[in-house]
Amino acid sequence: MSRRCALLAWALLALLGLGAAQDCGPIVSRREWRALASKCSRRLRQPVRYVVVSHTAGSVCDTPASCLRQAQNVQHYHVRTLGWCDVGYNFLIGEDGLVYEGRGWNTIGAHSGPTWNPIAIGISFMGNYMDRAPPARALRAAQNLLACGAARGYLTPNYEVKGHRDVQQTLSPGDQLYDIIQQWPHYRSV
Amino acid sequence: MRKARLWGLLWMLFVPEIQAATKLFEEKCTLAEGQTLTVSCPTNTNMYSNSQKAWQRLKDNGEVQTLAITEGSSQVQKGKYFLEDIPSEGMLQVRMTNLQVEDSGLYRCVILGPSDPIILFYPVRLVVTKNSLGTPDSDEYPCQISVQNPTLPPVTTKLRPRPRPRPVTQLVPTSADRLSSPGLTVTPTNVTHITRAPGISIIIPAACGLLSKTLVFIGLFAVTQRSFAS
Repeated sequence: MSRRCALLAWALLALLGLGAAQDCGPIVSRREWRALASKCSRRLRQPVRYVVVSHTAGSVCDTPASCLRQAQNVQHYHVRTLGWCDVGYNFLIGEDGLVYEGRGWNTIGAHSGPTWNPIAIGISFMGNYMDRAPPARALRAAQNLLACGAARGYLTPNYEVKGHRDVQQTLSPGDQLYDIIQQWPHYRSV
Repeated sequence: MRKARLWGLLWMLFVPEIQAATKLFEEKCTLAEGQTLTVSCPTNTNMYSNSQKAWQRLKDNGEVQTLAITEGSSQVQKGKYFLEDIPSEGMLQVRMTNLQVEDSGLYRCVILGPSDPIILFYPVRLVVTKNSLGTPDSDEYPCQISVQNPTLPPVTTKLRPRPRPRPVTQLVPTSADRLSSPGLTVTPTNVTHITRAPGISIIIPAACGLLSKTLVFIGLFAVTQRSFAS
């Protein structure tokens, strides 16, 4: 009886340990998607209070291989055509259900204008979501990313999610995706 | 008997930790006399571009005093109060210059409408102190500070761990994550750091978490002692 008790107790202890750690899920690093080196230097003040959700309004991808190429395409456009120091978003979300590291948690992005860039993390879903919604695995990936950010102190515990159209004159993140994020627990319209 | 005690202890694992209410949250800003309070209140590009916005003070007796209103124009200067409404960016910028001790109190940004005003951002609890403050720590948004008083000696920004209101089960962020370069518009001197939540909403979940985990460990210790003894 005492041995079984001890076994049960240690099992519960292990569960407790697991509960304490926050799983961030798989993030495809810059090296992994073969990103060009960033030339950006402006740092974000931590912890960040706002998250702006946008869409790239570009091509969609649904496999790790095609999303890797698409992340490169987005960066290429931002760096080579627009002349930015790096891809504009802090993170990109693919329909493969993976998160692609952009400027990351620490660097100011170029996604929502001069008022919001210094105070927000910009995440962008790769695709156009006016007439269709991202798959559940992509939405899960985004929400896990944000939960992880909050647990690690990159985001404030009461961080607020905004749609891109809430903070800029744009259709982004698309009607369908905008409807979805308005139901997220951290969404705040004002 | 032993088993009953063990099960009694295990129930403590399921004591829910009280989550801090975010709706009654106040943003605390501590500044010295002569400094400027800057608050950024997100509006919404689409919803309220036509609406009037105001900066109000909430008195202790419940009375609401409107200090400045955007009268259809995008910028308003009324004495020490400056409002700038930027609908295309979905932001209302508020500035209170030359702060005095009497300015300490509770303030808020609101959208004025036909019914109850809509509160933007969070109510701001402003504390203005007479003397220049200790270690500067300007890593907060939007309680940005800009030093107006040129006689304050320049002090380099020092980093120090802030008390963080979060449940104990989550990972504690390393201080490296909160390294911040001096702000773009700010010369940080002699300003205290800013706490986020009222103390009570940190103490209760932290105490509950600590209590439940302590009890679990005591229980486990007792169980293993007994299993080794028998």
